[in-house]
Amino acid sequence: MLGVWLYFSLISITFAQDSFQIKGSVVNANTLQPIEGANIFGNGLFSTSSSTGTFTIKNVVEGTYSITISHIGYSSETVSIRVGPKMDTLKVYLRESVTELQDVEVNGKTHKREAQELATVSHTVSKDFLENNRENSLMQTLKNIPGVSTINIGSGQSKPVIRGLGFNRVVVVQNSIKHEAQQWGNDHGLEIDQYGVESVKIIKGPASLQYGSDAISGVVDIQASKLPGKNSFKGEVNMLGETNNDLLGVSTGIQGRKNKWFYRGRLTYRDYGDYKVPADRINYENYIFELHDNNLRNTAGKEADASLGIGFISGNIKSETNFSNVNAKNGFFANAHGLEVRSSSIDYDSSNRDIDLPYHKVNHFKITNNTTVGIGNHTLQLDLGYQNNHREELSEPVPHGYMPTPPDSKERIFDKNTYTLNIKDSFSPYQRHDVAAGVNLEYQDNNIGGWGFLIPAYNRFTIGAFAYDQFEVHQDLHLLGGLRYDYGALESKSHYDWYSSTVNNSDGSTSYIYLQRAKNKTLDFGNISASLGISYIHKNTTYKVNLGKSFRMPLANELASDGVNYHMYRYERGNLDLDPESSYQLDLDIDHTTTSFSFGASPFVNFFENFIYLNPTSNYYETLQIYEYTQSKVFRAGGEIRASTTLLKNLQLDASAEYVYSRQTSGPKQGFTLPFSPPLAGLFSASYQFKDFLFLGKPQVRADYRITAAQNEIVPPEEVTEGYQVLNMSFTAQMNLFKSAKPFDVRVKLNNVLNTHFYDHTSFYRLIDVPEPGRNLSISVTIPF
Amino acid sequence: MEFSTKYFYIAILILVVSSCTTDENADKDEQKPTIDINYDEGFPQACSQVVRGETYSFKAMVSDNAELASYSLDIHHNFDHHTHDDQDGECSLDPKKTPTNPWIFIENYSIEGGLTNYEIGISLTIPHNIDTGDYHCSFSVIDETGWQSRTSVDIKIIE
Repeated sequence: MLGVWLYFSLISITFAQDSFQIKGSVVNANTLQPIEGANIFGNGLFSTSSSTGTFTIKNVVEGTYSITISHIGYSSETVSIRVGPKMDTLKVYLRESVTELQDVEVNGKTHKREAQELATVSHTVSKDFLENNRENSLMQTLKNIPGVSTINIGSGQSKPVIRGLGFNRVVVVQNSIKHEAQQWGNDHGLEIDQYGVESVKIIKGPASLQYGSDAISGVVDIQASKLPGKNSFKGEVNMLGETNNDLLGVSTGIQGRKNKWFYRGRLTYRDYGDYKVPADRINYENYIFELHDNNLRNTAGKEADASLGIGFISGNIKSETNFSNVNAKNGFFANAHGLEVRSSSIDYDSSNRDIDLPYHKVNHFKITNNTTVGIGNHTLQLDLGYQNNHREELSEPVPHGYMPTPPDSKERIFDKNTYTLNIKDSFSPYQRHDVAAGVNLEYQDNNIGGWGFLIPAYNRFTIGAFAYDQFEVHQDLHLLGGLRYDYGALESKSHYDWYSSTVNNSDGSTSYIYLQRAKNKTLDFGNISASLGISYIHKNTTYKVNLGKSFRMPLANELASDGVNYHMYRYERGNLDLDPESSYQLDLDIDHTTTSFSFGASPFVNFFENFIYLNPTSNYYETLQIYEYTQSKVFRAGGEIRASTTLLKNLQLDASAEYVYSRQTSGPKQGFTLPFSPPLAGLFSASYQFKDFLFLGKPQVRADYRITAAQNEIVPPEEVTEGYQVLNMSFTAQMNLFKSAKPFDVRVKLNNVLNTHFYDHTSFYRLIDVPEPGRNLSISVTIPF
Repeated sequence: MEFSTKYFYIAILILVVSSCTTDENADKDEQKPTIDINYDEGFPQACSQVVRGETYSFKAMVSDNAELASYSLDIHHNFDHHTHDDQDGECSLDPKKTPTNPWIFIENYSIEGGLTNYEIGISLTIPHNIDTGDYHCSFSVIDETGWQSRTSVDIKIIE
């Protein structure tokens, strides 16, 4: 968010004897109207801007001064100026957003303070972080947060992973509505336009209490965008180019507000070619795939997103309705689809931008309404959501097993509608108690199509009720306790093969049968979640302890799948007797922050009573290995540490490390880890801010050095992955090309500076020995208007 | 309220230590079985030609560090050139064609007795009435832990 620009200029001349005079003016650059009543103060200096926005400070002795400019509605900024003869004209751009209605609480607590008092371990990511770390997808951007990693499918798609768990064990929430797609799928990526995102709250730990089923390992909560200021309009255009996959992207957003009505809109388009890897060939088992020009054949993609929000705010009511549509098409590596090696007559190398078979396309449409009403002591929040996720996987029709050559390329079609209703009431029944209670309802209707079968069609209804209380023992000690009950019903629909299979009967005869892959079945589940935590703030240090129980309802594929996944060379068998997963976790968190130094540690211990695991068995079904959904006890422990310091005045150093230990302590894979376990990793960053140079404001250079240990902890069919070290560099600055206009934001980023050849253990393509992308230069320009 | 930070640090220390206690890696089977057709009796070798109506013994050597569990043989047509084998050298393929009555052989077998070495031997008569042309022959083997290995060979069925 660009916020309102505060244009502040100081013009100082005139001197008598050895005292000088500072003159300046404070202007709102957006409207170019002067701002009255801004406070200007520092080292015995004080002034207030007049109705024309100007101010004067007289009788200033020669020297260097630190001056702070502040005004309600704008965050204050401190500038350093040299007062003396021939003073330079100083321009300071202050970027800050307008405070949202909900932020203005009676006690005036900041978000930061609120987060400190809350016993749950969370991490809020600002827009600045998102912009400075921007990668090809939202989750890749968030990867620099310790404890967060991704499962990447090529260069443009990724799935969130928190502390080693992903798929349906991490909930993604946008505008308070759970994002529902085909999260269980190996080659599914998150369908969210990262350009529309202003702030993300990441919860590392069990959060079913507030978020219901699936929030077992963590939550990526994409916060509602901030409210635009009264009578404001602003917009931005962002352009991005990348060399590795020849990406061109443009995103433009506007937002405005009259008095009570506000709106925002955004359009994003991205188009990229095959990505390049630092290898001439891929060696997978005994196969060798020669690569043309280092291009990972057919991994090109494109994405077109649009969103529109309209809102109303008046008195105690705030309501916003958002419409969004994300549409993407991504190619899959042509030489091997999943684990299956494929030959084709398609001329993949004629262009690195075309998307041939196999590919997938996905469209995610979403309408959400968030309404907040204040009635006396109560704040009532109502969230309504409708989502449609339509995903198609297309590949060249090839006969498999008893299946003859299919008629077309539509291998799998998923069409899922999700309806959500959340009601929450927050109130303070007694002093020192903040209570929230609510109900979440969700209905899913999942349909399937295509000639390949993996999961059955199903309907699912869930309802959950919760209540929690935050109790302020004293101003630095807070307790949080809550309880939740969920009920869910899942109705799977029967499915028969469209072709007949040969079945050898016990009496020696042979029949040809259309096999049934899924049955009509209704299952229901109930579960209790709970959380109890404490937060203690002592000077600059915050301590937290939280114990939580979370759960996850089994998915339709875990319960009822009975089909062949040819691309993975496996037959997947569900289990109708699966219980909901339940997990207990103890989290600790220490954060010590002073102005020049900060340190944090967040260890955890976690125990799953019945982790649902797709177990590779030692048996075959029609020559394909049988993988069976089973439940086992799992113990996990680990955590993150982080430290940062401002060593010199302009030099900032950050270091962080993350580690997760996982063990299955029962079941057929006792002693083994869990699939896609991220290895021990550390990230070291150094950034240096230079003085303004020519037309460049706040030029900053940053180096990120990621060191990842080998991952020797594997389960079939994974392979051990070597450790690696990779260096990324970036340069950011504001460009003041035109004096009257707002400065452009420029970012030049060089990923994998040394073109290092390495494997990411949690990448989808790791199984077929495809290395990570090679060197990539990206240039991004954001032009505000 | 008095709150001793010391206990907090001790608790964290215990957590860190407990999470880094010794691994039970030693007795974990992390090795895939192997599968081999490149020996004198191994059959079929890459680019082999087999005749309709004749009987052949399909042979491969499999081995594992711990315990072999099961194996499979899959023979299907490659008239559409959808894939290729993983053996050295390329076999010449006939032009693409539409199957009318292609041969499909799909069978699983188990290996009893906790063996670590085993020779697969499957005696098969190539049916008379099936389409001739390019076929694909895939062996695979799984060990007791669930590790799998596969190998596949291009063959040609002739009159």
